[in-house]
Amino acid sequence: MSATPVLALRDLGKRYGERVAVDGVDLVVERGEIVGLLGPNGAGKTTTISMACGVITPDRGTVHIAGHDLATDPYAAKRAIGLVPQDLALYEELTARQNLRFFGELFGFTGARLAARIDAVLAIAGLADRANEPARAFSGGMKRRLNLAIALVHEPTLLVLDEPTVGVDPQSRRHIFDAIRALRDAGLTVLYTSHYMEEVEELCDRVAIMDGGKVVASGTLRELATAHGADGLEVELAGEAAVLALAIEAALALGGTQVGERLHFDARTAWAPVFGALEATGATVAYVGSRRADLETMFLALTGKALRD
Amino acid sequence: MIIATIRKELHLLARDRAAVFRLLVLPLAFIALFGSVFNSAETGAKRARPIAIWYGAAPLGTPIAAALDGSGVFATVRLGSADEVRARVAAEQLDVGLVIPDDFDPGAGRPAELVIDQGAPLQIRGPVEGAVAAIVDHVLSGGGARPPAVVAKSPPGIRQPLAGISAFQLSVPGNAVLFGFFIALICALSFDEERRTGTWRRLLAAPVPRWKLLIAKLVPYVAVSVMQLGILFGFGAAVFGMKVGGSIPALVVLCVAVACAATSLGLLIASLSATQKQISSLGSFVVLVMGLLGGCMVPRAIMPHLIQTIGLAVPHGWALDGFYTLLVRDGAGFVDVAPQIAAVFGFAIVFAAIGVRRFRFER
Ligand SMILES: Nc1ncnc2c1ncn2[C@@H]1O[C@H](COP(=O)(O)OP(=O)(O)OP(=O)(O)O)[C@@H](O)[C@H]1O
Ligand SMILES: [Mg+2]
Repeated sequence: MSATPVLALRDLGKRYGERVAVDGVDLVVERGEIVGLLGPNGAGKTTTISMACGVITPDRGTVHIAGHDLATDPYAAKRAIGLVPQDLALYEELTARQNLRFFGELFGFTGARLAARIDAVLAIAGLADRANEPARAFSGGMKRRLNLAIALVHEPTLLVLDEPTVGVDPQSRRHIFDAIRALRDAGLTVLYTSHYMEEVEELCDRVAIMDGGKVVASGTLRELATAHGADGLEVELAGEAAVLALAIEAALALGGTQVGERLHFDARTAWAPVFGALEATGATVAYVGSRRADLETMFLALTGKALRD
Repeated sequence: MIIATIRKELHLLARDRAAVFRLLVLPLAFIALFGSVFNSAETGAKRARPIAIWYGAAPLGTPIAAALDGSGVFATVRLGSADEVRARVAAEQLDVGLVIPDDFDPGAGRPAELVIDQGAPLQIRGPVEGAVAAIVDHVLSGGGARPPAVVAKSPPGIRQPLAGISAFQLSVPGNAVLFGFFIALICALSFDEERRTGTWRRLLAAPVPRWKLLIAKLVPYVAVSVMQLGILFGFGAAVFGMKVGGSIPALVVLCVAVACAATSLGLLIASLSATQKQISSLGSFVVLVMGLLGGCMVPRAIMPHLIQTIGLAVPHGWALDGFYTLLVRDGAGFVDVAPQIAAVFGFAIVFAAIGVRRFRFER
């Protein structure tokens, strides 16, 4: 069945005074997908997510969650979403269980149903044996896991994570990743925001890249790689400085990009003229290698910015 | 959902040492301190005031000393010389002394000497001078038992004050109101805390209307504030012997009014401040200045008239007027404090109205 998408953002916009934070974002997340939302600092990821969750009211555009319009049917829409905010959004002085209980009750869960959910998410977060300790006493990674658990307690259809692994040790990060994958296998849909390319590459089925408040590209990693030339060859030259400068000028003229010591050419390049031109300058081709689709370069090509600064 | 937030806020408050200190420990300490300082001054005045006296061969010396002791106002301490009387008063061992010379004869321009610091405030020195002069005069005019010429009475319309009221009748409500309004600061800080940690986003993401979120955030503080006032008044009654002359239900309603005003002041402070620092500084300033103007620290009754009137521009002034009436006037009920209850609720509504109007859910 071609079900309604779990999340559909249409022409979403938000400005703060003169600054446009989000500028006409369209984004669709289908059931069972893990979609990555990537972008440099200030791209508008958090603002977009906040509007999707009803935390911020958009200036324009619509949000549908599991078919419910957030503007006209907000409570049904919000019940379907679990938000993991970028900050550690929990009460440090309350125990893990008290945190979960409060937020569960906020979503209308009570009694045995709530108790069962709390136990379930404590297990998912690997915090069952620490449930009655105040969150204050947790390590950074454990707090991150509790931050995730709170978003799951009301059994959402869509989990929205805003950089859930910031400042997390490898062990907790692995735990969070495994949890997200297990949840996806159990039918949960995930929208995942990150700065970390490797995370997105490892976790996500599809990626949307944001910059300056807009989605500048989206698709599977493969689609993006083909469309934006992240596959291709990399070439290293040897020779005297003056010769190398000439060679680099020639390479750039033929569509190459200089990345550190190497020159990158995308997969659609016509190779014979490139190598001809390079060798004509007197430079020696010291190394030729194939380049795999890599978000970092794709990202650089799309936004002109490094993902992490 | 409101119950869930009440439980949550109570859990958080119970673990917030600073809040518990501000709401309970500090006011109890102040009540005890102010109450006992003023109480000893007051009961001291009720006991006879010691007066140093010296008389040598003056024939009226003995009857005057007897009349002073018999007045119930003074207790004479007989000393060996006029200079010893002056020295004891100068050394502040005694407040007042009376020296009756051997040739005591006021008619011939040889009066007795009242030894007292002429620099002392008139409120203190006036009654002493008047009383001593009157007693000496009475002895001079032949003495003997005589029915009192003047009797003090409250005018009708003012309910009879309780017999044996202590300074705690003032220090308990004064500090209860002063520190009761600290809930405003604590409430405002909790809004900021939620915003800073991001739990506010979680609240906004919950399937709950925003007005209900706001109410759920405020109601716990009203409840805590009522509990706090209950504990302070309860302590005042149980430990410090504070008496309630008037209606207890009226006292409870007035406490609820104060709790509402204090909490909505908290919302107002939160909605006018952008940062934790602003809340702390604006909040403490507002709470202390209001307490001062409203007569929490110094009773309005002994302030200049203009300041007394200004005191009614803050809820504290009204609340204290109401509490004094209920504590001190026997049989005072709702009717007697209706204006005060209405005024305090009025402040609550005004604070809340401005607060809600200025409150930003998204920031
Ligand atoms: N409350 C606000 N007031 C004013 N400007 C804001 C506000 N929130 C966000 N912005 C601006 O909107 C833009 C987008 O911010 P947003 O937080 O959505 O970016 P982001 O992609 O999540 O960045 P990061 O990766 O650093 O978390 C930024 O320029 C930011 O300064
Ligand atoms: Mg962000």
